[in-house]
Amino acid sequence: MESTRAAFLCAPSAGRDATSASLLSHWWVAFAASSVFVVSGHLLIKAGLNGSAPLPANISAGIRILHSVFQFKVLAGLLIYLMGTVCWMRAVSQKEISFLYPLSSVNFVLIAAASMIFLQEILSGRRIVGIVLVIVGMVLMNARGKV
Amino acid sequence: MRGEKFDMNPKTMIWISVTLSAVAQIFLKQGLTRLQTRTPASQSLFSLTICVVSQPFIWLWGICFVAAMGLWLSGLQKLDLSYAYPLVSVGYVLVTILSAAVVRERVDGRRWLAVGVISLGVILIAGS
Repeated sequence: MESTRAAFLCAPSAGRDATSASLLSHWWVAFAASSVFVVSGHLLIKAGLNGSAPLPANISAGIRILHSVFQFKVLAGLLIYLMGTVCWMRAVSQKEISFLYPLSSVNFVLIAAASMIFLQEILSGRRIVGIVLVIVGMVLMNARGKV
Repeated sequence: MRGEKFDMNPKTMIWISVTLSAVAQIFLKQGLTRLQTRTPASQSLFSLTICVVSQPFIWLWGICFVAAMGLWLSGLQKLDLSYAYPLVSVGYVLVTILSAAVVRERVDGRRWLAVGVISLGVILIAGS
């Protein structure tokens, strides 16, 4: 079982790029990389979706989705997001998931801040309180011992 | 749906997408568990690929994953990123409820409290 998982996670990078593979063998490097990729990937996807030209109302749903996916920013964003997922799996293979999950809620903060700065989104007080409650809940869910 | 106007509410799309992702995780977990019990420890990448592809739960995971991705992208087109992204946390709530109800895992009081706090946060974000 362990060998299967190790093969899954290591096979693509083995021998191709020894430096990045050894860097990602520190859980915190893998975790930080996953956060940066997940957040920047999503920003790029949303920027691409914002910039796409509107289609006439009578176009079908499938075409609509394909039209929004196949543009440079969205595809690049998806690719970066995928890299983030791979890094996340590398982090999870080295550190307990109950430790990493609450830590990953830093993504919510980064996404909120980046949406304000780069996408000119307006965050209401209600939305900010909601995000804080989500983070508190995630820490609580994975906390050890009695609360 | 062909040629018709597709006017599903973008918020509904995000909710369905998030639900499908949670269900997909349960399928993936089932698929990988079965994979571990049925595959020999040492094997080539090719035979491993065959084992993965012949697992119906892996296919279910793939279908849910693709559908969730499509709905996520079409919903996100109309909604703020700072609105949609935190709703991913609905997944934690759903997985906890599903693992208690379907897989019959024990979920203690602290976890139910956490589910309550996350749900409250999600309700606030949904109404923002």
